[in-house]
Amino acid sequence: MIPDAALRLPPRAGGQASRVRRAVLRNRGRAGERAYTALRWVGAGLFGAVVVALLLSIAGDSGQALLHSGIGFLWSGTWNPAAGQYGAGILVVGTLLTTAVAMVIVVPIGLGTAAFLSELAPRWLAAPLSTLIGLLAAVASIVVGLWGLIVLTPIFANQVEPFLASMPVLGWLFRGEAYGPSVLLASVVLAVMTLPTMVALSRTALAGVPVADREAALALGATRWQAVRRAVIPAARSGIQAAVTLAIGRAMGESIAVAMVIGNRPAIPASLTAPGATLGSAIVNQFAEATPGIGTSSVIALGAVLLLLTVAVNAGGQALLRRGRAIPVSTAGALR
Amino acid sequence: MITLSSVRGWNDRGRRLSALVGLALLGVVAACGTSSTPTAKPSAAADASSCTSTTVLSATCDITTPSAVTLTGAGANSIEPFFETVFYEYSQKDPKTTVTYSPAGSSVGVTDIQQATVDFGDSEIPMTSAQLAAATGGTILQIPVDLGGVAISYNAAGVPANLKLNGPTLAGIFDGTITNWDSPQIATVSGVSDLPNLPIKPVHRADASGPGYDLDQYLIDTSPAWVSAIATSTSSRTWPLATVGVGEQLNTGVATYISQTSGSIGFVEYGYALQNGFVNAALLNAAGSYVAPTEQSIALAGAQATSVSATDFNVVNEPGSGTYPIANFSWTLVYQKQADTTTGIALGKLLDWVVTSGQQDAEALGYAPLPANVASLAQTTIRELESSAGTPLFTS
Amino acid sequence: MSAVLAARRRELVRATAQRSLARRRLTGRTAQAMCAVAAVAAVAPLVTLLYYTVSRGAGALSWSFLVNAPTPPTIPGGGISTAIVGSAEIVGLALVLAIPTSLLAALFLFERSGRLAAGLRFSADVLTGVPSIIIGIFAYALLVLPLHQFGNLAAAFALAVLMLPIMIRADEEAMRTIALDLWEAGIALGARRGRVARSVVLRGALPDLVTGNLLAIARAVGETAPLLFTLATPLAAMTLLIYTDGTQAFRVAQETAWGTALVLLGFVLLLSVAAKIAAWRISQRAR
Repeated sequence: MIPDAALRLPPRAGGQASRVRRAVLRNRGRAGERAYTALRWVGAGLFGAVVVALLLSIAGDSGQALLHSGIGFLWSGTWNPAAGQYGAGILVVGTLLTTAVAMVIVVPIGLGTAAFLSELAPRWLAAPLSTLIGLLAAVASIVVGLWGLIVLTPIFANQVEPFLASMPVLGWLFRGEAYGPSVLLASVVLAVMTLPTMVALSRTALAGVPVADREAALALGATRWQAVRRAVIPAARSGIQAAVTLAIGRAMGESIAVAMVIGNRPAIPASLTAPGATLGSAIVNQFAEATPGIGTSSVIALGAVLLLLTVAVNAGGQALLRRGRAIPVSTAGALR
Repeated sequence: MITLSSVRGWNDRGRRLSALVGLALLGVVAACGTSSTPTAKPSAAADASSCTSTTVLSATCDITTPSAVTLTGAGANSIEPFFETVFYEYSQKDPKTTVTYSPAGSSVGVTDIQQATVDFGDSEIPMTSAQLAAATGGTILQIPVDLGGVAISYNAAGVPANLKLNGPTLAGIFDGTITNWDSPQIATVSGVSDLPNLPIKPVHRADASGPGYDLDQYLIDTSPAWVSAIATSTSSRTWPLATVGVGEQLNTGVATYISQTSGSIGFVEYGYALQNGFVNAALLNAAGSYVAPTEQSIALAGAQATSVSATDFNVVNEPGSGTYPIANFSWTLVYQKQADTTTGIALGKLLDWVVTSGQQDAEALGYAPLPANVASLAQTTIRELESSAGTPLFTS
Repeated sequence: MSAVLAARRRELVRATAQRSLARRRLTGRTAQAMCAVAAVAAVAPLVTLLYYTVSRGAGALSWSFLVNAPTPPTIPGGGISTAIVGSAEIVGLALVLAIPTSLLAALFLFERSGRLAAGLRFSADVLTGVPSIIIGIFAYALLVLPLHQFGNLAAAFALAVLMLPIMIRADEEAMRTIALDLWEAGIALGARRGRVARSVVLRGALPDLVTGNLLAIARAVGETAPLLFTLATPLAAMTLLIYTDGTQAFRVAQETAWGTALVLLGFVLLLSVAAKIAAWRISQRAR
């Protein structure tokens, strides 16, 4: 992109920037140019207006709840609308927990699949497999939720959860009565939903790495896997980061499908197989009932909290990205 | 094929054929003295002579509307099986009226009617004075349209059907103190000694609900332990102890959980228990008998309500030896002043039909017909509908 | 003497290299196997999900299923025509609202730098994570309440708001990756910005624009929450129908739900194929 700053160069400076600048300035006055620039502003303006309207709407409607419960609303421990207690703390924990477990499932599998499809699989296998996974993106989230409710819940209640609880060391994570609907089941459903995005975007990122990087690593004596791990994946880091961020955003915001499989228990889950509740599921269950005034406002305040969480995750992700770029990619390590 | 009542009338060749046959039959009946104009609407041919005015509501009057009208409604999930059948039948009789209903929950119905985004709402609990005050279009009429019950359904192999349970035991199950089907308290109350060793998995409504409100009321009335567990003695639409067991959405969600989970127990509108073929508990009523939910026991609960009104609507724990203790009326909410007269007349005709002829469908679906006094309350309230100018829409 | 040492050193290096190679090959093969396992794990839920959808829904599919209006479960002969038409209208309207806006906004971000562009870009990133239910509530407050009416416009608006940030970011990434050099070349040749944008950037990045937009569209078509707050009845859209019928006790209702899921899947696939063909056609004409 030619930053507009380049156009502020003194006209006598030679070179490419100056020639481009003169070309742009020559065109600036023409009618078509102005119409196009105006259109661009319209597009950006419409988008900006939507953003502002959305933020104002959420902030305005949640104001009452925050005034009533104070800033403690954000971490207060009890969500019991029947008793008039509105506190988002437990729901925040539930949201973070389900998202984290979902990511633990999705990131390795997604990245591994992307690496397999893009680097390691034979050509005749890669194309149909990636089409198949792309097909999963076309499945409506409600269908995945319904499948989770009808098919997975009994399997989890009767087989998966008891089995996990009986494992020697890890079993501690899965202890307790197996109801079926649980944090674990919700995380699995979220993982199935976000997997196609993770695979598709990671694959694009891996494919975008210049062939020269791979070849350089191989020329230095790396095995195929070493080339992938040391040369390709680090170079694709920003794309993979974007994929993970999008997956996290989707997982945190999913509401109806989660409400169907998480068990809707507003308490800190005692283990991964216990029912829980997230911000999204609470909004689904509560919105219509919310008594006008404090009730509705609290529900929208939950939405505001969710939005803040998303901002935090995005900002965190971008900070990580900037730090990651400072570390040089090294293929010399391939020789060890 | 769907379960919701957005019906468009004649669109199937098979139905047209049966309509022609029906027309022929009615033509024979009509030939016995009433005006027999050959129209496509058999009911019109039969009734045209009884009342020619569109402003008279009566079982024998012409219920067809002069122009095409679409009525939108939203509200209780619990009345949905009843509504979809009666609305479909009504559309057969009056093809010009299209009725759509969104069974998203009582609260949605209340909110939507408050905001006037629908023509009618439906709620298992009448609106409170605060909710009525928040209505944007003026006074709201609350019309009882059906009588239903709340079944306590369970799925536990080895537990007999119609297990006898009382309030305190049920409270123990739902507040987490009783955790297994073979607990001594259940054995004592039910009189069954060989209950299986199976963990109890209670399921409640995650969203606000009429059945939840009714069960909460029953437990408050019968169990002091419940009152102290929930720290209040006012029942609430949102289930007060959501930290015990699992929460699912709508009657359908609870029913799905019960049908797929061994050891589960939960509450659903009786119509849904019937649909799913559930096994239900026999609850202790105020007279000391254990009564299972049936159309008859629910009807008895309604019959006890001699002075039902929108402010005195509770039929939980009513007296009578055969009475089922958890029953409730469902209330349709409409604005008294109808902005559009055609819509208002169509609405009045629809509701009048539902509370009179429509009640014949109730029993087969798991509801009880409205008792006579409640039906006449409904009819009186319907006749309070006015035009935007304030003149009554119906002359009788 | 040094010849012997040199020979021993060569031996040592060769032995080390061979051991290293063997170890690296082993690690590599193990890792490749695990990636293959990952791929299988990724495909398995899809296959089971598709199999389940087809087995439960295929029985409901028929011509009359697609063209008949709905009926209660006890009355045979019903279909889902109102839902199909409704979904098509809503998605169509949403695309009309979202695609031009997102293209223009993406061009804005692509061509400009500065704090405004950075701010808009960050907002788009954040907005991709806004839960769809919040957008539904927003559309309810903005369009349903003032007009006192539910309807397709409010639903389409909600879906457009949902798609917009995803499309904008995907479009800008595509433009940046594919068309940056082309853009500079076009400008340097003296073409107007609008001309360059139209003929160079959009044409050049078209396949990637289509892919990115399709992801957003597929996501929006499958959403239920925004429709919950903007439509009057579950019969007005396929996803709502699936949500409402899927848990009903009637076998017929469940069949309808899964049949609708299949129809929805076909709908999305049809959109993808149509979009890809259109993109290919346009890029062909550029030659």
